Amino acid sequence: MTQYAFHFDGTRCTGCKTCEMACKDYKDLSVGVAFRKVYEVTLGETKKAEDGTFTTDCVSYPLSMACNHCDDPACTKVCPTGAMHKDAETGLVSVDADKCIGCGYCHMACPYNAPKVDREKGHSVKCDGCAERLAAGEKPVCVEACPARALDFGTVEEMAQKGEQANIAPLPEKHYTEPNLYIKASADAKPAGDTSAKVVNPLEVK
Amino acid sequence: MASAMAELPLALFSTLAPMGAGAFLILAVLFSTAKVDGDAAKRIDRFTAIPVGLVIVGFIAAFFHLANPLHAFGVFAGLGTSPLSNELAVGCVFAAAMLIYWIWAMAGSLKGGARKGLLWVVAVLGLVFALFTGMAYMIDTIPTWNTFAGPVQMLGFALVGGAAVAVLVLTLAKEGALLKEGAVKTTVFAVLVAGLVCGIGGVAAQAVMTDPLSNALVSGSDLVSGALLAIVCGAICLVGTGVCDSFAVRGVGAGALVGVTVGAAALAVVGILLLRLAFYAMQLSVGLSIM
Repeated sequence: MTQYAFHFDGTRCTGCKTCEMACKDYKDLSVGVAFRKVYEVTLGETKKAEDGTFTTDCVSYPLSMACNHCDDPACTKVCPTGAMHKDAETGLVSVDADKCIGCGYCHMACPYNAPKVDREKGHSVKCDGCAERLAAGEKPVCVEACPARALDFGTVEEMAQKGEQANIAPLPEKHYTEPNLYIKASADAKPAGDTSAKVVNPLEVK
Repeated sequence: MASAMAELPLALFSTLAPMGAGAFLILAVLFSTAKVDGDAAKRIDRFTAIPVGLVIVGFIAAFFHLANPLHAFGVFAGLGTSPLSNELAVGCVFAAAMLIYWIWAMAGSLKGGARKGLLWVVAVLGLVFALFTGMAYMIDTIPTWNTFAGPVQMLGFALVGGAAVAVLVLTLAKEGALLKEGAVKTTVFAVLVAGLVCGIGGVAAQAVMTDPLSNALVSGSDLVSGALLAIVCGAICLVGTGVCDSFAVRGVGAGALVGVTVGAAALAVVGILLLRLAFYAMQLSVGLSIM
């Protein structure tokens, strides 16, 4: 099996969300559904001194993320019908719409906020790594669209050369699902599992 | 709590079905230890439609949670790996046993040892079903659910809610006197106490575990604060169930008995539903799951 993985370069990403919009356009996603999301991560505090001046150590950094096609996916483990499955050839995780009952267990279990139940379609939906583009020798549309070249996609061996495995906050520690996401962290990024980093655009990424 | 309301069909399922299931424990003790004549048994069987109906309505409510119920027959594909498959498999086995018992009893040919044996099978399966309903939420990426406080509270709800339903069945069957026979009175008291301790204690334990946790989206203390009113009101309702049923078992006037037992069952439904909504409101992922 060739396991595919995403790479995210936190030193390049500007948080422009072109990746998210390119994916929504290519996959023709409705309002309220996005397979790739850009999380605005913020930490630090601003303090007022006795002399009335302010000091701050606030920082903010973007994190662009879709499904991480994990080695040990939480979504496939809880799926009662086997609709959520991992492809034996590519390691990509996708939904079999003919089996899915839309129970939302995958959505609850995934710590990367990837699957979501689309009640109009009657099943869970999520990033499939643009499997059809991959078969045609192309990269996922989000990777192609990134103007800063902050995203990449390839074999896990190639992507692992470019960064560390899912190592920044607000991501959980990698042992839960062994995600295939390799990150080059920005200078401000906190380590995975650090809960001082907060997502400040929750409605946008819901 | 707003996110918990999105889980209302599941909250209804996990309220009504375990209540119906738990009622068979008291019925099993009744038919095993008290003298129940043929006519009384017939009347009790007729009103056993109440717990049977609660279980069926609960399962129907669960279907409203699904985006595509037409694929529901595939839910057993994950047996052994998916907690939801395990729960539904146990639920279906229990429901089948319950329906066999009830239909057989209503046909009038279920008597003696066969009735006792089958009723105990249904009662045990009902409690196992309640435990599996709680275990269905033990997902390692949701630490506030991945605790035995979940199955314990479900068992408690089945016990206290089931006792309320069983006492109502006997009252409506005009067999309230049987509540004082054999081991029924002691069992009802014991089941009510155990149910209250497990139900309210389980939710309290979950809240205590949730409070110090946080992720990048929410803090556990905010989740607990949001659910606190539902927890307090739910606990008060369940204690009210216990008090009403205690009066019913100790003996109140025949005129008041129906009102007291109906009130106890209604308080149980409201109390368990509120505590189930509080359970869903205290969902906190290790990562970025947003309900």
